[in-house]
Parts: sequence; structure tokens; C-alpha cells
Amino acid sequence: MARAHRVALLGTVVVISYVLTFFKILSVPLLDAKVADQIIPVLPWWLLVSFGSYCLWSIGMGLLTLRECPEAYNELLGEITEAKNDLRMKGVTVD
Amino acid sequence: MQGSFNSPDTHKYSVILPTYNERKNLPVIVWLLAKTFTENQLAWEIIVVDDNSPDGTQEIAKQLAKLYGEDKIVLKPRAGKLGLGTAYIHGLNFVTGDFVIIMDADFSHHPKFIPQFIRLQKAHNLDIVTGTRYRATSKPSSPDAQPGGVHGWDFTRKLVSRGANFLADTVLNPGVSDLTGSFRLYRLPVLRHIITETVSKGYVFQMEMMVRARALGYTVGEVPITFVDRIYGDSKLGSNEIVSYAKGIWVLFTTV
Repeated sequence: MARAHRVALLGTVVVISYVLTFFKILSVPLLDAKVADQIIPVLPWWLLVSFGSYCLWSIGMGLLTLRECPEAYNELLGEITEAKNDLRMKGVTVD
Repeated sequence: MQGSFNSPDTHKYSVILPTYNERKNLPVIVWLLAKTFTENQLAWEIIVVDDNSPDGTQEIAKQLAKLYGEDKIVLKPRAGKLGLGTAYIHGLNFVTGDFVIIMDADFSHHPKFIPQFIRLQKAHNLDIVTGTRYRATSKPSSPDAQPGGVHGWDFTRKLVSRGANFLADTVLNPGVSDLTGSFRLYRLPVLRHIITETVSKGYVFQMEMMVRARALGYTVGEVPITFVDRIYGDSKLGSNEIVSYAKGIWVLFTTV
């Protein structure tokens, strides 16, 4: 079973239970009926907004924490020069 | 784990370097690799898989083989530009070591990280160690890791890279932070196994290798690396690559 199948299976179960709850075929345990009536219709939108925020936060944090490494660049330039000089001395063609 | 080679650590490390028009880069990367391996007393070889470069890369490779020895620099050219995935399969036919390192030949991957890869592999008996630009510590943790990073990327490049990794991470949950990087150490039989199951090409190829490795139950460690974008030549990332990358994620999502 590929990951897509597992996700689809889980998604189907969640959607079916949501629809059944929405049409009051299933009841919400441990929650006042009045409160449940108010929460159930907006739940998908809440999930959507939460997921969107999570995406933005993840990518934003990723961008912020992606480090610049100028020291690696400078070190590399030095090593390239050293390598070229050494190789030239040893008879390898270096441009 | 004990190896079977007559070297200080009983192992031998084979680097597969796919090249196409790397005449300028090849001698320097080989010099850096040779220096790293010699300083760390590791047995090594470099398999240069050249796709018939018109710029004379092979001529340079032959000169390097003369300098370092034909057992160290092994030139195995191919008839034309046949792609990255098949270059590794081709190179694997000639590997004599028990570990394989794959990396780019353009200095964006610095050989100085290889000893860290090897130490982490030995400490945890890992099947794969991969370099990551996005972490500050290694996984499993190790005291000698320095924070990773990139150089030479503008904001757009960073955003695309972060977005691409986030997308793949969310959809595929591969358990490694840098999927599109390609600086990795593999146990030889592990690489052979994964590569036979891998079907995609180009950018997606590296990602698929990691996703398959996880699905097959291999252990993967991560070492932070610094990534200096191509000093000579252009790095290629256009909208075509982005579309084929997204397609690749979808294919992996529905098949692995």
C-alpha cells in the first residue's frame, strides 16, 4: 500500500465521520449539543486556516534559519588557488 | 563493523563523480578529495563517469590518473549525456570499495565533510549518511558537527528550495531534512539495492533514493554541510524543473 492509499483511507474515514456528525446521525461525546452545533459547521475552515498557517510558518522559519556561510566560500576560494598551483607544478593542465 | 580491506579502518571508500564539461572543476575536486582521504588515512578511489564531455574532461582525468595512480582515479566514460541516475548505475559496476560516496563535482559539496560522514556512520552503524544544508546539528547527534548553510543563493532560490523541501516533507514524510541534496555516503549493497528500485530522473532521483531508503527500512543519518553554489558554470533551476519536481513528488506519493 503506497502512502497515497494510506492517506486516502484515513481521509475517507475522517470525512465520513464528519458528514455523519454534521447530519446528526452521530453525536459528539463529552460536549454540550448547543456548543457542538456551533463548532461542527466551521471545523473544516478552522482546519484549513490552521494548515495554511502551519505551511507559512514552516517555510518562513525555514527561510529565517537557512544560514549564510560566506566563511565556507572564502575558505574554498583559497583552497582552489592552492590546488591549482599544486597541480600545475605536478604537470596537470589547469585552466 | 569490521571491513575486509587492508587499510587502517578496514574499509575502502569509492567516490562516484558523474561529470559533463567539468574540465575546470575536476582537477580541483580530485585534489581536495585526495587531500581529505590522505589526511584521514582512508583507502579510496574515484570513479569518474564522464558523459563524453566535448571540453576535454577525460583528458584531464587521464592526467590525474597518471598523477594519483590508475587504481585511485578510474575513468569510465559513457557515449553521451545519459543522465545522473544511470551514471551512478554505470559507476557502481566498477566500484571496488565497500562504501560509496556520491557528490557533485562542482565544489558545491566539499570533501572536508566526508570524515564526519564516516565517523557518524561508524558510531551508529548507519546504512546511509546524507549531507544537509538545513540543520545545525547532526542526526543522531555528534559533537563534531558544525552548522550547515548555503552561499550564493538569492531570496528566490532560498524560497524555492525551502518550499520544495517542505512540500516533499509534508507529502512524503521521508524523515530527512534535505531531500534535494546529493552529497551522501552509502553502504555499497544498500546503494545497489535502492538504485535498482529507483525509477525517476533528474532532481527527483535524489529524493526518490531517500524515500525508498526509508520505505525499505534502511537507517539514515544526517550531517550538516555548507553548500557553496557553483563557482564556475551555471546552476540550473527553472520553472520546468519545478513542474517536474512536483510531478515527481506525486508519483512517489502514489507508488511508494
